[in-house]
Amino acid sequence: MAAGFKTVEPLEYYRRFLKENCRPDGRELGEFRTTTVNIGSVSTADGSALVKLGNTAVICGIKAEFAAPSPEAPDKGYVVPNVDLPPLCSSRFRSGPPGEEAQVASQFIADVIENSQIILKEDLCISPGKLAWVLYCDLICLDYDGNILDACTFALLAALKNVQLPEVTINEETALAEVNLKKKHYLNIRTHPVATSFAVFDDTLLIVDPTGEEEHLATGTLTVVMDEEGKLCCLHKPGGSGLTGAKLQDCLSRAVTRHKEVKKLMDEVIKSMKAK
Amino acid sequence: MGLQLRQTFEAAILTQLHPRSQIDIYVQVLQADGGTYAACVNAATLAVLDAGIPMRDFVCACSAGFVDGTALADLSHVEEAAGGPQLALALLPASGQIALLEMDARLHEDHLERVLEAAARAARDVHTLLDRVVRQHVREASVLLGD
Repeated sequence: MAAGFKTVEPLEYYRRFLKENCRPDGRELGEFRTTTVNIGSVSTADGSALVKLGNTAVICGIKAEFAAPSPEAPDKGYVVPNVDLPPLCSSRFRSGPPGEEAQVASQFIADVIENSQIILKEDLCISPGKLAWVLYCDLICLDYDGNILDACTFALLAALKNVQLPEVTINEETALAEVNLKKKHYLNIRTHPVATSFAVFDDTLLIVDPTGEEEHLATGTLTVVMDEEGKLCCLHKPGGSGLTGAKLQDCLSRAVTRHKEVKKLMDEVIKSMKAK
Repeated sequence: MGLQLRQTFEAAILTQLHPRSQIDIYVQVLQADGGTYAACVNAATLAVLDAGIPMRDFVCACSAGFVDGTALADLSHVEEAAGGPQLALALLPASGQIALLEMDARLHEDHLERVLEAAARAARDVHTLLDRVVRQHVREASVLLGD
């Protein structure tokens, strides 16, 4: 009977739960789904990570290649993110060129990289004006159940921490690059941006980490990206119902706590990897 | 490769039980280290079974090659890149029927038998594994459903 009610009046079904300050999957309004992360699973990539937020699964693979730096910024390398939402993750996506949601997500990740200064593009330069690294970050969603932006940001951060770049020297005589695969070093990750997403219900109620169904019923969404010093890197609110300043402050404080949770999880995983 | 997968599964899926319907099979390769077609076929077989779509039989695939007089089964990327003859075989194990067979590079017809046998043997090993996994999954699922 509940299943029938849910099909006919999904919003009303949802409101019944929200009135009791909980959600159909048993979570509280400010509770995240179980987060798991697996670092370094794709051995053919220079860095990789798989993040699962409840059912939502995103894998990030990073490949480092050579490129000539642009004349306007001869001492900077490139970081090129791309978010792919293939039809296999959800029936709402069709095969073909990237849809609107994938493009927005790609741009969001590019903004996070730029604003948080997660790595200095100058660190990617090998020889100013001649050679630099370009990091292609491919994020593929394997299972879509809402909150794709949080999963992508976390996957990207974990994968970047896993990237090892070989030492490159430019041979003076031949002017060719020589790669020393035996000497590899990790990237210098300067900040750890963590995204926290919220969905707005009925213009007033805020819930954290929305599932696919919740996103569909929501009247607005908001994503906050924080780094460890409590600095705001990015605020993404694509239209939807308005929010008061006070509600926004609540979101920011929740984002700060979420940052601690995520950082702790990632440090544990990296420590367990180094221990091997 | 999409075309090959389609041809392989058109041979195995009982499409007449789903008239006027389209079955989409999406495969995402997360890491490629040789034998990509075979891995796609094996994964798609399990996915189609998981979706409950009736099939004639499991479709099990394996690649094989021929180096220095020896037939090799399940080539890695390094072995494929070496440039020798490569064979991709998709088999319906119960009947032993071949759903798809594709070969690149030159191979003397005397050796074909051996290479084909190596691929078929490997494909049957894959079938044993897939069969065990599916049965275990069904057993666990029926326990959870309380049957």
